[in-house]
Amino acid sequence: MASILQAERLRLAYDDRVVIDNLSIDIPDGGFTIIVGPNACGKSTLLKALARTLRPAAGRVLLAGKPIDSFRSKHVARQLAMLPQSPISPEAITVRDLVGRGRYPHQTLLRQWSRADDAAVAGAMMATGVEDLADRPVGALSGGQRQRVWIAMVLAQQTGLLLLDEPTTFLDIAHQYDVLELCARLHQDGRTLVAVLHDLNQAARYATNLVAMSRGEIVAQGPPGDVLTAELVERVFGLRCRVLTDPEAGSPMIVPLASARRYDAGQR
Amino acid sequence: MTAPVASGSHHRPVVRVGDALSIPYSRRGVVVFAVLVLVIAAVAVITLTAGRLGIELPNLLPALLSDPGGKEGFVLGRLRGPRLAVAVATGATLGVAGTLFQTVTRNPLGSPDVIGLGAGAAAGAAAAGLLWPGVIPIPAGALLGASIAMAAVWLGTGRGFSSPSRFIIVGIGVSAMGYAFTQYVIARSGREQATVLASYLNGTLASRSWGDAAVIWAALAVLLPAALLLGRRLLLIEMGDETADALGGRSGRTRLLSIAVAVCLSAAAVSVAGPVAFVALTAPQIARRLGRMAGAGIVLSAATGALLLATADLLVQQAPFDVHLPVGILTAAVGGVYLGYLLIREWKKGTI
Ligand SMILES: Nc1ncnc2c1ncn2[C@@H]1O[C@H](COP(=O)(O)OP(=O)(O)OP(=O)(O)O)[C@@H](O)[C@H]1O
Ligand SMILES: [Mg+2]
Repeated sequence: MASILQAERLRLAYDDRVVIDNLSIDIPDGGFTIIVGPNACGKSTLLKALARTLRPAAGRVLLAGKPIDSFRSKHVARQLAMLPQSPISPEAITVRDLVGRGRYPHQTLLRQWSRADDAAVAGAMMATGVEDLADRPVGALSGGQRQRVWIAMVLAQQTGLLLLDEPTTFLDIAHQYDVLELCARLHQDGRTLVAVLHDLNQAARYATNLVAMSRGEIVAQGPPGDVLTAELVERVFGLRCRVLTDPEAGSPMIVPLASARRYDAGQR
Repeated sequence: MTAPVASGSHHRPVVRVGDALSIPYSRRGVVVFAVLVLVIAAVAVITLTAGRLGIELPNLLPALLSDPGGKEGFVLGRLRGPRLAVAVATGATLGVAGTLFQTVTRNPLGSPDVIGLGAGAAAGAAAAGLLWPGVIPIPAGALLGASIAMAAVWLGTGRGFSSPSRFIIVGIGVSAMGYAFTQYVIARSGREQATVLASYLNGTLASRSWGDAAVIWAALAVLLPAALLLGRRLLLIEMGDETADALGGRSGRTRLLSIAVAVCLSAAAVSVAGPVAFVALTAPQIARRLGRMAGAGIVLSAATGALLLATADLLVQQAPFDVHLPVGILTAAVGGVYLGYLLIREWKKGTI
């Protein structure tokens, strides 16, 4: 599969602190790439660089084969949307207005609100099930409701490429699967998705391309069936487990060993 | 082309002209703006008619329409007319500067008063007026001082303007240095000059001329549209730099341009009225609550600022004090209370 988004030999740093060095990755066009890895290994940092909100200290990101900075910023925003891990809700903004802000890259000085904008906002709120909250202030929502509103904001952007940093945090288990099913639908409709997830079983069930990161490096990538092994989980997370087959989806599924973190766990 | 229509009952109201033009607006915002304008007009009428020297109400309209002589000509053309014109435009200017700063710092404390811009402009004005009189004009000195203060803040934070909380803390330090420099200039200069300057440095609108009015209205005419052009990108900055950048809002550049516009606005205000305290801090917050909307609310902040300063100046003109109190002292007294409230609130929220 051709790559819609590529990173070549990235070095990513905050001030002088290098978090990622010499990392390359190809995001397959039309795929659902899921990135997993322990806390602080650099997943969000990588996602920011792919979304050009963090400028690489070295290396480059290519969108459809061309350096991403060579495009106008609004042009990129019509191709690629990004949900940050902890977005900031402006004071007193309503759900409808927040979702509407996702339309900015489609607007111009004179055409600040077209009928297509109304339709996109309504569609995005419907897809995430937040229509009933439309006139509520975002600040007065529960964490999970707010998360869905932010996903709606990103969907309203109507891009072919979606980067989602932990879209399921704060959600109860049913809403987690709602969001994942929504992602799967978007993927089936032909969009390219990249998401960071913490739940390995969810990742294995939904990804077409699973990327495991550790300490700023990509340790393994490919179809979940090839990537998700007991050795990998132990190497990356320091967790000993067994890999079974998910009886529903047929994807690999991990079950931690009893007392898995103890090194004498062998004497079960 | 079709006539402008407001459409979208269930959606947000939008002014549309065919397909080419579509601008959303807030109904409440329009009403609040209209009310503010009416109240400003009322304050203006009272300012011109009140007191011993006031023009009698029935004579006001004829006096405004013709070119009156005598007492009316003096009050309208010299005593209160230009002062009122300066008050309205300076208030609006400060309101816009305040909303720009508060939006780019995402903090109600991030106003020109708090972060050293007013103090820098005052120090520049003091230097231009007393230290090197005649070398540079006072407005240019104010602009220079404001720019130096902002440069100091930019350097002091260690990462430019991208960290709002550092921006505010460093700004408070720069502000203190600005005041110290001003005091130094006053201490060095002769007594008489210093008295004049001291009143200027509180922020005063006494004996303003039509020349001052022209300066501030011209600045507003250029800088308000500039602020409005940045308005939509400022809305994105409210959602964090990362989201703004992801949406194509280019937060770094927006912030830099907004600060440049706000520095010019503040310098213009300081050069005609001195550093009138706390209008820039309070006007945007009042406007936001009146308009009950998220966002930069640039036009409402301008109207609120104009109303605040015109009202404050009316009060100092008509209040039965023995001395002519500079309007800045009144705004400082009222605004200081509000600043204290804000500090406590932000401290409780843990943002400072
Ligand atoms: N804005 C920042 N400034 C400085 N350092 C940062 C910043 N953001 C992240 N870091 C550091 O970079 C490293 C990687 O962080 P990153 O957010 O990419 O981790 P992550 O893999 O997304 O972790 P998590 O699963 O906890 O979200 C961490 O050590 C973190 O402390
Ligand atoms: Mg993260």
